[in-house]
Amino acid sequence: MTSKPEWLNSFLSLLSSSSSECLACGKQGRASSLSPVLCVNCAAIIPWIRTPRCPKCGRHVGCPDCSRGGEPSHILYNRSAVAYNSVMRDWLGRYKYRGNERYAPLLGLMLEKAYQMLKVQHEDAVYQNAFIRPRSAFPFRRSTSTVSWKADLLVPVPVSEPRLVERGFNQAERLAAELSWRTGIPVLPLLVRTHHTDKQSFKGRAERLTNMKHAFGPNTSIIENYSNWLMEITDALSLPAVSIDSAVHDTKHTRPVRIIIVDDIYTTGSTIRACADSVRQMTEACSFSSDIYSLTWARS
Amino acid sequence: MKAAVYAVNHKGIWSVRISVDLQIDIAWWSGKYKRVKVDDVAMTGKMVILSTSMPLGWAVKLRDSFVHPIEMQHWGADFWDRYVKEVLKEERGAEGEVRHGKAIVAPIGIKDNLNEREGDSIRVYNEAYSERGLAEAGTGAYELSGWAREEQLEYEADMLSELVNGRSLLETELMALLSEHYPTLTEHWRSAAQLAHLKGRLKLEAAVMAGPPHPRAAAARRGDRQLSFAAGGLVWASAVARRLGWRGAARRRALPRCQRCGSAVTARTACAACGLSACAYCEACLALGRGRACALLLRSAALPSALLRSRAVPDPTAAARRWGLSAAQAEAAGAALGFMAEPRKRSADPCPERFLLWAVTGAGKTEMIFPLLEAVLAAGGRALVATPRRDVVLELAPRLTKAFPAETLAVLYGGSPDRWIGGRLALATTHQLVRFYQSFDLVIIDELDAYPYHNDPMLAHAAEQACKRDGTFIYLSATPPKELQQQVRKSQLAHARVPVRFHGHPLPVPKHLTIPPLFVCLKRRVLPKRLLQAISRSLARNAQIFMFVSRIAHIEPLLPILRRNLPGVVVAGTSSQDPARADKVKAFRNREISLLVTTTILERGVTIPRSDVIILDADNSLFDEASLVQMAGRAGRSKDDPAGIVVFASPHWSRPQRSAISQIRTMNRMAKRKGHLRKEPLL
Repeated sequence: MTSKPEWLNSFLSLLSSSSSECLACGKQGRASSLSPVLCVNCAAIIPWIRTPRCPKCGRHVGCPDCSRGGEPSHILYNRSAVAYNSVMRDWLGRYKYRGNERYAPLLGLMLEKAYQMLKVQHEDAVYQNAFIRPRSAFPFRRSTSTVSWKADLLVPVPVSEPRLVERGFNQAERLAAELSWRTGIPVLPLLVRTHHTDKQSFKGRAERLTNMKHAFGPNTSIIENYSNWLMEITDALSLPAVSIDSAVHDTKHTRPVRIIIVDDIYTTGSTIRACADSVRQMTEACSFSSDIYSLTWARS
Repeated sequence: MKAAVYAVNHKGIWSVRISVDLQIDIAWWSGKYKRVKVDDVAMTGKMVILSTSMPLGWAVKLRDSFVHPIEMQHWGADFWDRYVKEVLKEERGAEGEVRHGKAIVAPIGIKDNLNEREGDSIRVYNEAYSERGLAEAGTGAYELSGWAREEQLEYEADMLSELVNGRSLLETELMALLSEHYPTLTEHWRSAAQLAHLKGRLKLEAAVMAGPPHPRAAAARRGDRQLSFAAGGLVWASAVARRLGWRGAARRRALPRCQRCGSAVTARTACAACGLSACAYCEACLALGRGRACALLLRSAALPSALLRSRAVPDPTAAARRWGLSAAQAEAAGAALGFMAEPRKRSADPCPERFLLWAVTGAGKTEMIFPLLEAVLAAGGRALVATPRRDVVLELAPRLTKAFPAETLAVLYGGSPDRWIGGRLALATTHQLVRFYQSFDLVIIDELDAYPYHNDPMLAHAAEQACKRDGTFIYLSATPPKELQQQVRKSQLAHARVPVRFHGHPLPVPKHLTIPPLFVCLKRRVLPKRLLQAISRSLARNAQIFMFVSRIAHIEPLLPILRRNLPGVVVAGTSSQDPARADKVKAFRNREISLLVTTTILERGVTIPRSDVIILDADNSLFDEASLVQMAGRAGRSKDDPAGIVVFASPHWSRPQRSAISQIRTMNRMAKRKGHLRKEPLL
């Protein structure tokens, strides 16, 4: 058996369907339906969190931290796209530490799945509360006008200045940008890191929690933009159903601003909680109330 | 990162320079560091600070594309401004394009301070600093006031250039190096680096830059007239294409290139370090740190080369005796030594000369390189042994340490502990070579046809960069790739062959066994009788068997069939996907396993004293001539059992099988002709 001549191979390659090099495993393979940069095999091993066990932090396994109670938190709940296993650690490492930014669109895409989960769960919750059961009547159609849920704002978790210069990018901000591009929700970098903490990955739980308390502060350069933006969306926030009762346009009958804090990974949640605290204060300073959620790409 | 750029008129000649700590430059050009040469200082005319902080990539471009119109002497700030804008037109345009006409983040700040040196330089100095802003102020940690400080800084600059000697480092790598050897310098390395740069001992480059790194070296290496003619044509064609607008290949050639690995860089991203929205970064060498257009690449100035040329050739026979070489080994080592000592051909752009040591499997290549390393080290040079495979590095390390106990040997591979050890003798995987720059007089590349070095231009580029321009390359291989074989035939490549093994017996010639394809056997769950006979013949003579298959998927189903047919024989299988691979290979070495089914991963490096080889599906297209010769080379390696049995089992003959056998026969014939064979073949 002799191999085909080179010219024939190159000619045949024009005719055959394109198989691209997989971003994760580097092999030539059939592109997956999830993303063209990923081959079928690599897409199959993504440990999606489809049904979180812990309704609060979105963890795929039983969660002692949330049942412990502990800290009061300003986060309504967290959702993550994947469980943080060794494969996902490898992907995140290649993106975040080695700087292979081809991962950014893929991770953004995966994060969008988590957003969809958050959205659907929210809509389901609304149905249940309102005793509306559109599913039984029209199983395939859902009237989007009344109960469609959409977040108002994405806020990425900031990184410190030295780390930003070293790395060249902020992974949370890139993820938020990707998500914003996909869902049309605006992004505002409301926060800055006030002091440079050492890398979280080398620390235990208790240390992380104390370390994070005052790590974030409001981004002073954007506060004005933020309050302007809040004014702009005031109309959108007013609740039509309630206004029938009161029959007046009362600013108090606006719903809270839905803010999603975006980060790459949720481990103890201390980072997210600290961010949520700052964001809530900033929003209150503009005399608005807020519902704060968080979305992370992975949940450890 | 961002860097400062300035033009300086020194002895009537303008040059543009970049700086990572402008304070040092200002002090330098006002003569603080040259107390001895007062004349030089007086000769320094103007210093124009073009920008105190601009993306490093732009700064390097300004420096490298500097032309010197005579009227610069009289330029005012606006002229300089226009000049800078003109040079960076393309970059600024690209930036605007990406941002869709929105505000450009990084405007070029021309600090129009014409430093009349006779006047008050202090004024400039302050102004420059007030413009620099807080972000940059922390970098120059030294106040250049006291004498002690200056002394200290000079000392540190010398230390830094000593540490970076022969290397090519990104900022993160430099940090790792410093934190190991000089932790106090991690704070203010910029000042020390800048002073070393001004002294001419360090080069400041951007890791990704426009233009091919060494276009001529690569072309000159191929060394035929046709190519240079063709290159002339290409130059012309590219000039035409430029006029017509860049297309295709011409455009690709104009892509920025990674200065470490030589690949063309297409990936661009917004970068927080330089503020550009399209900062190029290299994806090919990401695993070794990210090279960006704005990442500082610190290289040492070229080291003085050891004067190996025109020295007396070390006596090969003495070397042979000292290292216990056979006649055939000594002859080849002597040829290589002679080549290294030969005076160089003069050429405008020297590049390392190459020599191929073509030694059959089991010839004792490692012993042959000892005299070469010894010669270089004795002449005060630096030598490097590189191999694509990490396990070979680990195996060679103790042997080299034993051979050269007086030298500190740096053993380099991904995650090795002595990454930053400086020594004159280094042993490394080929990937690690991107961290060196014109560092070694002798670079020996072992197993050059092995994955991943073969067919990877990035590693070849890295190896070329690691060698000094007038150094020597020695390739070691049992199965050189086609191009090299061709060059040997055309006598374009200096070479020496070692056609015989160290024990002086001929190579076992493979025999062909016609059996059905393996997948048929697996389906029927029956092995052909002839194959089983061959296996039991080997087992009867108490030999261990390497059984090579073409596909990992074949290993698992094959094992039970073998076990059923060979009761009482320990049979195991391993592949690259087997986590217990190292243990199984170890057990095979200890004779705990009699028959090991494996893929090409064990085609080299594993030596078993008494072993036979059976290659199933030898006509498979995955087995080329080189890998067949390598696999056949697993047999008969020891003095006690020089005549192993090699079987190519396949339904058909194929060209690689025939050429592998003919290559083995040629080597045996050559050995016989030269009288290296100890006695007649045992067949």
